[in-house]
Amino acid sequence: MMKAKTRRRFLEQTLFWLFRIATYLVLAAATYIFLDIGIKGGRTVFTSKPPFVNLEFLSQPPQTLYVFDFEGKKMTLGDREFRQWKVQHPGVEVEASSVAYSAGGIWPCIVGTALLVIGSMVLALGIGISSAIYLSEYSRNGPLIRLVRIAILNLAGVPSIVFGLFGFGLFVIFFGWNVSLIAGWFTLGLMVLPAIITASEESLRAVPQGLREGSLALGASKWQTIRKNVLPYALPGILTSSILGIARVAGETAPIMFTAAYAMKDEMPWQVAKFTDFFFQGVMALPYHIYVVSSKIPQNEYTQRVQYGAAFVFLFLVMLIALTSIVLRERSRSRLSW
Amino acid sequence: MFQIAASLAPFDQFASGFSDTAENLHGLVSDLTEQASALKEQLFARAELLAQRDQLERSGDHDGAQKIVVPEVDRAAALLALHQGAGRFESISAEMTAQLYSLLAAAPSLPDPAEQKSFDQWKITTRDYLAALPIASKKLREWSADEPIPWYRSISSFLFGREWVTASFWQDWYGIIPLLVGSILVSIVALLIAVPLGVASAIYVSEVASVHEKRLIKPYIEFISAIPSVVLGFFGIAVVGQAIRAASQSSWFSWISFFPISERLNIFTAGCLLALMAVPTIFTLAEDALRNVPRGFKEASYALGANRLQTIARVLVPASLSGIVSAILLGLGRVIGETMVVLLCAGNRIAIPDFSQGLGAVFQPVHTMTGIIAQEMGEVVRGSTHYRALFMVGLVLFTITLGINYLAQKFVARYRMSIG
Repeated sequence: MMKAKTRRRFLEQTLFWLFRIATYLVLAAATYIFLDIGIKGGRTVFTSKPPFVNLEFLSQPPQTLYVFDFEGKKMTLGDREFRQWKVQHPGVEVEASSVAYSAGGIWPCIVGTALLVIGSMVLALGIGISSAIYLSEYSRNGPLIRLVRIAILNLAGVPSIVFGLFGFGLFVIFFGWNVSLIAGWFTLGLMVLPAIITASEESLRAVPQGLREGSLALGASKWQTIRKNVLPYALPGILTSSILGIARVAGETAPIMFTAAYAMKDEMPWQVAKFTDFFFQGVMALPYHIYVVSSKIPQNEYTQRVQYGAAFVFLFLVMLIALTSIVLRERSRSRLSW
Repeated sequence: MFQIAASLAPFDQFASGFSDTAENLHGLVSDLTEQASALKEQLFARAELLAQRDQLERSGDHDGAQKIVVPEVDRAAALLALHQGAGRFESISAEMTAQLYSLLAAAPSLPDPAEQKSFDQWKITTRDYLAALPIASKKLREWSADEPIPWYRSISSFLFGREWVTASFWQDWYGIIPLLVGSILVSIVALLIAVPLGVASAIYVSEVASVHEKRLIKPYIEFISAIPSVVLGFFGIAVVGQAIRAASQSSWFSWISFFPISERLNIFTAGCLLALMAVPTIFTLAEDALRNVPRGFKEASYALGANRLQTIARVLVPASLSGIVSAILLGLGRVIGETMVVLLCAGNRIAIPDFSQGLGAVFQPVHTMTGIIAQEMGEVVRGSTHYRALFMVGLVLFTITLGINYLAQKFVARYRMSIG
């Protein structure tokens, strides 16, 4: 009897330790990724001298890097510096090997990603909140609404590349928008729409029925009730959960690969001839840039700077957004009670 | 040594005589291939010139359009010439058949009984092949270039085609099987890693961990799900692939037959990284399911004298099983639809892995459905067969994920019922 009990206890402890190890293995793997990219990317992004941040990397467009031997020294110069150097050293013939994208910085990519995120979130929030209001406040539970709900539920699981394919077929080709910001906005917006609708509807439903009934009893119309007595209380919840949508929009590469992103573009997005051209231009985007620099150029000491630097900045931005959303949610969970 | 060579001399003679008989057929095949490719090229060139002229015509440049001379291609004559190949094939194959039958009749016998047995087997196969030649000849006679390809053939050759060849000079193939197999293998590897980790950590967090641990681990694992896939893919190229290859070269693993591996980017590399993406999904949903088991279930189990492990294994997990299964299914949905990690880390070789190595197949590069869309969509000619094939791949992917989602919802519904 005693023996059986100790054996059982031993088995229990062993298995619990296995569970514990599995859990911490996951945490350790993620931590390793954060540390590896943090340390190696940190070398690019931070400097030991004031202002401690590598402003050149954050504020310059990408350039081609030239590597050559000169008077026994190994020189690595960016495209522009290399041309200057050639002017300064007339008559010197050097055999320079070039590595694309490996000099300069990632400024246009940061701008492009910011534009894509802002535009698509405005679209998704606009459409998403409207349809959530319709679904939770106006619609009756008929077969059509059930179909809409099933569609929303299932669209949430559709792979992002399929959204990219859809956006390419519809916006880029059928509407003739070409590879452009606006095509990217719509594609990304559609991609997060299911998540936003679900979250918004949940927040709207969490507003107690009494608030609506009180307002209606005082003679307010339905829309007045929604605008004054439902939306203000639901909005914090809606925004909190849509921050996670922002992280998803910013983090996705596949949908923008052939709808909005260029591998290289010389002008900044605001350098356009006409106002309308702004919407119909492709942009550089940080995730696509990371894809390009990690797949199209080799892995070596010259390319590592840009590869890890871009990955670091991108990871940092997305994680910051995700962290905000997690913290806000934890807070609202403990605070919100009707 | 010499004795062996001497004893094999008749066999050697037989073998070379055997291969000599096919010479004429080889000649015919290469002649006809040349004719056919020449015709194909002419037709292509003509189509291109026509398109050029059309474009000039549309942009209003009539003179420029008139200047383009479009050569006439005598398609009918060329096809007739090709057709005459069927007659030549008949005479050549008849000649070859006769020669081979006489050769087979006089085939030498081998000293080793096992070898003799397989040699006999081979002779039977050869006779079967020769018997099938008249059928091939009949097919050649009946072949017509103008015969339309029925719709079911194009669907079946897409769904069951074992080759995906694009931009080939001779013939493009769009068969989804290599991509499907790639996607499935990568997902299997990812789930084999992610399911034990995800479910174990869900059980740990919901049943074993202290409150402080819980408050730290849960947000952290959710945080992992926000790591952008392209960053994971880059990490795979920069670190994981290299590490796996280095590990396979170490002497510790020298007893494994397929180590060291040659490719650093392969199914396993991609699977490891995808596992990290699937763990948060599986963890979050499985933990939810475990937490939602009514308290009474647990308390009843304790009251009957069960310890914690018994309660988990006999009560909590069975009660939440359909929830856990749906968590795994949603994890699978996430893995199979993931693009950037497989595009960067799966090796991008369009081929069905060689399963003869057993588990070693897992260390071969593949291409996946998501990867092929991402890689080829940007460069494809709009409206071409290739373009449509990529959309078809997207459709298949869409259907698969819808199916997985549907199953997961079914399981969730059952789970709700089982706990009331």
